[in-house]
Amino acid sequence: MFSSVWSTLVGLLIEDGQLAIGALIALAITWAVASSGGDQGRDLSGWVLLVMVLALVVANLYRAGLNVRARVSSARR
Amino acid sequence: MDPVTLAIHATPAFVASAVEFVEATTIVLAVGVTRGWRAPLLGTLAATATLAVIIATLGVAIVTIVPEQLLKGVVGTLLLLFGLRWLRKAVLRFSGIVAIHDEELIYQRQLAELRAQGLPRTQFDWVGFLVAYKAVLLEGTEVAFIVIAFGAAGGIALSAAIVGAIAAGFVVVALGVALQKPLTMVPENTLKFGVGAMLCSFGVFWFAEALGMEWPGDALSIPLIVAAFLLASWLAVRMLRALLPEGARVESRNV
Repeated sequence: MFSSVWSTLVGLLIEDGQLAIGALIALAITWAVASSGGDQGRDLSGWVLLVMVLALVVANLYRAGLNVRARVSSARR
Repeated sequence: MDPVTLAIHATPAFVASAVEFVEATTIVLAVGVTRGWRAPLLGTLAATATLAVIIATLGVAIVTIVPEQLLKGVVGTLLLLFGLRWLRKAVLRFSGIVAIHDEELIYQRQLAELRAQGLPRTQFDWVGFLVAYKAVLLEGTEVAFIVIAFGAAGGIALSAAIVGAIAAGFVVVALGVALQKPLTMVPENTLKFGVGAMLCSFGVFWFAEALGMEWPGDALSIPLIVAAFLLASWLAVRMLRALLPEGARVESRNV
């Protein structure tokens, strides 16, 4: 179990490092919102996390798409 | 246990575990067809016994010793990290950037590798035993993690997750035994897409609960969160298809 968790974490940091770091930052912001915003902050924390993670996924894949397009363009030149 | 709770907690574990069982069954089938069934079946039994010991000791210790809020926070974080990786790969596959996971190709490659190693006639087939043992143990630990993750709330959720995983094991193994060939008809790539969205959703759900949030409708919020992830992923697939030239393919680690 630990080996599969470990290999996933290593894979995340090496292959999808920006995504993993982004997710950890989103979790930290969510924790800050929940602990400093009182009851309202706590009740909003899940939605805040959801919006941040969705934006992170789309932004990461958009960036990946731009990278691939740049590679393909330079290979065809 | 009411049917809605059972469906919400058992279905993700069933689908996620089925993906892992398909991978393990493919490898055991390849070993059995190539080198005979005795060694891979013994390897499978040994791995199952090892898993049972791991789950009985570690799983029970985790659920009983670690405080519930802390467990939800840690499990939520791991689920989100696992899920994001699955979801990203699934989007890259569906947009045509990374090759689709092909169970038939993996099966044929495994057959060729095992045939190249030759078959011992007189002694016990340790190669067949170890290949099956390793495959079942590795995929099985992922199933164990999935069960613990989806059942992190304990009680009903844990029972439902166990039921889902066991049902997936029975269905996949029965299909494998009946067909004696890789389960290519299982839409593994589509399942992985859905599982990635579910893992992320449960990650968000558990982490927020660990911080003290009460979701509207409790577990009934989960399908809504899954739908949000699926919608964002579908938009990402469309965006990548529009962004990339036809036939663009890059290894995932270079994306």
